[in-house]
Amino acid sequence: MLRSLRDTQAAFAAHLAGHGRPDLVAAIAGDPGTALQRLQLHRHHVARSIGAALAATFPTVAAVVGQDFFGLLARDFMAGTSLEDPVLSRYGEPFPQYVAAQQHMHGLPYLADVARLDWALNVAFHAPLEPRLSAADLAARPEESLPELSLRLPAGSSLIESAWPLNLIWQASQPGTPVDKVDPAAGPCRLLVFRRREDAAFAVLELGEAAFVKGLSQGDHLAAAAQHAAQVEQGFDLAATFGRMLGLHLLAAGTPA
Amino acid sequence: MVPPAGIGLRSQHLDELLRAPIRPVFLEVHAENYVRPSPSLEKVLRLRHDFEFSVHAVGLSLGSADGIDEKHLERIARLVERLQPALVSEHLSWSGFEGRFFNDLLPLPYTEEALEIVARNIGRVQDRLGRQVSIENPSAYLGFRASTLTEAEFLDELVRRSGCGLLLDINNVAVTAHNLGLDPADWLNELRGEAITQFHLAGHARNVLDDGSTILIDDHGSRVGDGVWSLFDQILQRFGPRPTLIEWDTDIPPLAVLLDEAARADRTLAQADPRDVALAA
Repeated sequence: MLRSLRDTQAAFAAHLAGHGRPDLVAAIAGDPGTALQRLQLHRHHVARSIGAALAATFPTVAAVVGQDFFGLLARDFMAGTSLEDPVLSRYGEPFPQYVAAQQHMHGLPYLADVARLDWALNVAFHAPLEPRLSAADLAARPEESLPELSLRLPAGSSLIESAWPLNLIWQASQPGTPVDKVDPAAGPCRLLVFRRREDAAFAVLELGEAAFVKGLSQGDHLAAAAQHAAQVEQGFDLAATFGRMLGLHLLAAGTPA
Repeated sequence: MVPPAGIGLRSQHLDELLRAPIRPVFLEVHAENYVRPSPSLEKVLRLRHDFEFSVHAVGLSLGSADGIDEKHLERIARLVERLQPALVSEHLSWSGFEGRFFNDLLPLPYTEEALEIVARNIGRVQDRLGRQVSIENPSAYLGFRASTLTEAEFLDELVRRSGCGLLLDINNVAVTAHNLGLDPADWLNELRGEAITQFHLAGHARNVLDDGSTILIDDHGSRVGDGVWSLFDQILQRFGPRPTLIEWDTDIPPLAVLLDEAARADRTLAQADPRDVALAA
């Protein structure tokens, strides 16, 4: 017998997690069959709504595997990772690791990296819009101070390096895309994910550019980051890289937090 | 002054609302969608210059025996401070237990113990926000044997104990009455309803269960049904006009459809007896 509201909510929580609770069924008005049927409505609604939230956060994964298979992945993930926050966009950080561990189930070696990209886009989308460095800001500084300049990526940015062509896989998942087939063997990619004014996006980086970005995000000064990039990619062009990053509004002043 | 009719604000419609002038409506946001920074929040803050807002929370879990999640309350409070909405509301339900969140508006037994807990939780929220919060009657799919009060009695008593307002969701009255075998008129007759601050209107789905019975699902995925419009007429005769919101959360239609529903609510409100209670502001 459920003697208190706390008892009732504990029983309801157990029911939602899939456990049988005859004491809860007995506490519901109507015959036991109808009571159970009504309780199941809540169990299904909870599973469906959390699954939908996960699909909204991982839309590329859902597009790659299809909604039905995504539903199976989500169901098993949710069984092991309960939702703790009413802010649904915070749910799913461990999903990429889960997808990696389930490769036997989906057979797609690139799917975990696709999930990492989705999560990175979600993080960037929910980052504050910070002021970005412009060419005019730089022009206002004495030239000799530039090598010692501290730069960082805007809040919410991240670098994703993958052995798979994530950029093409992402493009193929977009509504109305002209890309109808992606060859997963098309090669590796390096994506810088970042917040824009209206959305979150990624830029495809060359090897040297990625090394440069990595240096900046580790707190290297401009000169040190450029040196690191030149070691990774012969012929690394600092001016071109810097110009591109300024053009994409990818640099903020200051050292990384 | 809050316009008589409003619409639930969906992210799909943000840009269109920012671009073009539309008929005067108020906008309701689901609080949990806007507590984090995002381009959508920035657009909402821009829209605030031209629209009155209602902040509708879905995750405070006012019926939790655990009490209020202070961290979440703090986030809601910051949003309310930034948006300065005309109305703030939450549901008569619970959705969290021992740190887990279920993303559903779960039912409460209507008992003295639950009354004390919900009134205390509402008090905590109102103290932190420094303003009245309106409590929405939920859509029910089941009832508890332990209940000693009807839903309407429970709501009226919450008003008395906590000083909260009431958000009367007319679609939820129709859904609850059908699912629990009640007459919506009886449900309403039991409600004193002195503290009603706003109405909600929405569509619902009708599902046929294995045993052939039907159940109404509060899915907010279609136009407001005729039965709910008719109930709205009766409610206006009894309680007078209040700001009235069109909710639409699944299968979101073009903005024009939402505005068309709001225009119908507007016309209905205009026909209500103006001597009745003035619009809350």
